[in-house]
Amino acid sequence: MKTTAWIRNTLLLAAAYVAVPLALGGNQYVMSMVVAALVIGGVALSWALLGNLGGMVSFGHSAFFGVGAYVSALTTVKLGVPVLPAMLLGGAGAAAAAVIMLPVLRLRGPYFALAILAYAHIFRILATEWSSVTGGAGGVAHIPALPTVFGFELASKSGAYLVVLTLVVLCALAYSRIRASHYGLALRAMHDSEDATRVVGVNSTLLKGLMLLVSAFMAGLFGAFNAHYINFLEPDYAFSGLWVTLPIVAAIFGGYRTILGPVLGAVVVYLVDQLVFKSLIPTGHQLVLGLLLVAMIVFSPNGLLPLLLKALRRKEAGKEKQHA
Amino acid sequence: MTELIAQALYSGLLQGGSYALIALGLALVFGTMKVINLAHGELVLLAAYIAYSVESGLGLGPMFAIPIALVIVSLTSVGVYAIISRIKKDREINSLILTYGIGVILTNFILLVWKADIRSTSSSWLQEGFEVGPLFSMRSEVIFFGVSLVLMAALWRWLSTSWYGRAVRAVASNRDAAKLMGIDPRRTEIVSFLVAGILAAFAGVALFSYGVIQPAYGSALTVKAFIITVLAGIGSIPGVLLAAVLLGVCEALTVTLASSALQELSGMVLFLLVLFILPNGLFGAARRRG
Repeated sequence: MKTTAWIRNTLLLAAAYVAVPLALGGNQYVMSMVVAALVIGGVALSWALLGNLGGMVSFGHSAFFGVGAYVSALTTVKLGVPVLPAMLLGGAGAAAAAVIMLPVLRLRGPYFALAILAYAHIFRILATEWSSVTGGAGGVAHIPALPTVFGFELASKSGAYLVVLTLVVLCALAYSRIRASHYGLALRAMHDSEDATRVVGVNSTLLKGLMLLVSAFMAGLFGAFNAHYINFLEPDYAFSGLWVTLPIVAAIFGGYRTILGPVLGAVVVYLVDQLVFKSLIPTGHQLVLGLLLVAMIVFSPNGLLPLLLKALRRKEAGKEKQHA
Repeated sequence: MTELIAQALYSGLLQGGSYALIALGLALVFGTMKVINLAHGELVLLAAYIAYSVESGLGLGPMFAIPIALVIVSLTSVGVYAIISRIKKDREINSLILTYGIGVILTNFILLVWKADIRSTSSSWLQEGFEVGPLFSMRSEVIFFGVSLVLMAALWRWLSTSWYGRAVRAVASNRDAAKLMGIDPRRTEIVSFLVAGILAAFAGVALFSYGVIQPAYGSALTVKAFIITVLAGIGSIPGVLLAAVLLGVCEALTVTLASSALQELSGMVLFLLVLFILPNGLFGAARRRG
């Protein structure tokens, strides 16, 4: 089982790094869609990390995404920081924004979810009103693009694809590391009973706080990448509810208890949404996303990927039985 | 200056009335089902848009929209219940995501049907000034403040004397004990959603009559309703009214003394302050902290 998973992941990585740019690199339109889908995938991954490991539902990830985008954009535009370190600063900025949210962790369940929704509103208002720093509603223009490294233009569509793919892979690796560590064990135990876990000496609030910071850092990183990729920011875009809705739909669709699920879910959901639903219903095509979300929660809350895998396994088991 | 502040206090008080209706709907459902309906603000907005259609399509005043809004919104609310009740496991987390999804559906439905434009009433009768001494407001604000007070009094009476009202309170305080007393919790939950829908319908028509509406406004309404329930603590109607008025006054003062753009921010700050200093709310005893 371990080796097959390893082989599967290697094949998937090879396909993602080599086959996709070769096959689609010529088509700028499709390539830009794939990049956007991976940005959503990255945010979905960070959302799923918080949901799966921390047991928290966040409706405020647009705050982290927007803060990451703004910090990275402003440090490059105003302070002249190079783009790649600035993206890390963007992640750090989002994590810092999450530090202000830490007191919310004392609240449980629905209270946490709504408090974080309120936080997201605050950040959007701040970005609009604090115009001396953020440029207000007019936004930030001419954000420096991704640099050219060793003669390879990262700002091109294929270059941006490789950057965002690498970010997703790194975040997925970090996620699986955390999940496999003793922190992951404690977090899983907390999922069953937080009180029991506290009794055996786990500082549950600290762990949940750490997960919030990690998740915010990741979301901020993708926000920062996106800012340098599209070179323009405005509050309504950077803090748009879309950065919450799409990742949630993607993570639920792909299965938020898996690592690969949210990313694959994002690619499928985003591409289908943009290529099919958007052409059918130009305004309000998110209606379909809402329907999808509701259907998933009612019929298969653990996502489609686990459902498919289960069906596949059952089929294989059936075959083995026939052989025997 | 004093006049300005007095005026802000008065406007906030009037605004608080319909805020309280929205918050009571949210709190009622949370009481019986322990579910926060994140689509509640969208239900209110749906009623507001129905009022807009009645006014622009039939040429009638927004008030005449109330019967239609009542039917459609309370049925939608019960529909929300029907979907939530199908959740099999992890109800706390899944109900949040589910109602969030329903909110997305409703927002985009409104966007599809009524377009993204900002709407407000064109009835001059409703917008005419109504003066109480030195204080000024629109006629619609006073009317709907009165309507909310009446509704709240009716709700209070219903909760304290009627069979279903008491069943709602019983299920809210102890579900299992209520079951043993012969109360069907499912039926009680449906009733609470129905009543929440009725309150949302009135609040929506009020919203359209004195303010402006746009499709994206729903989630802000849900957040406001939630802020009020946090301020009030769960379990008392006067508490909710007081908290709603507090929020309304806070917003009105911010608009008067600072800028209208910061209106929402003031509510959030108030909310965070209460959360950190008085986590059980101003009037409630229920424990929310883990």
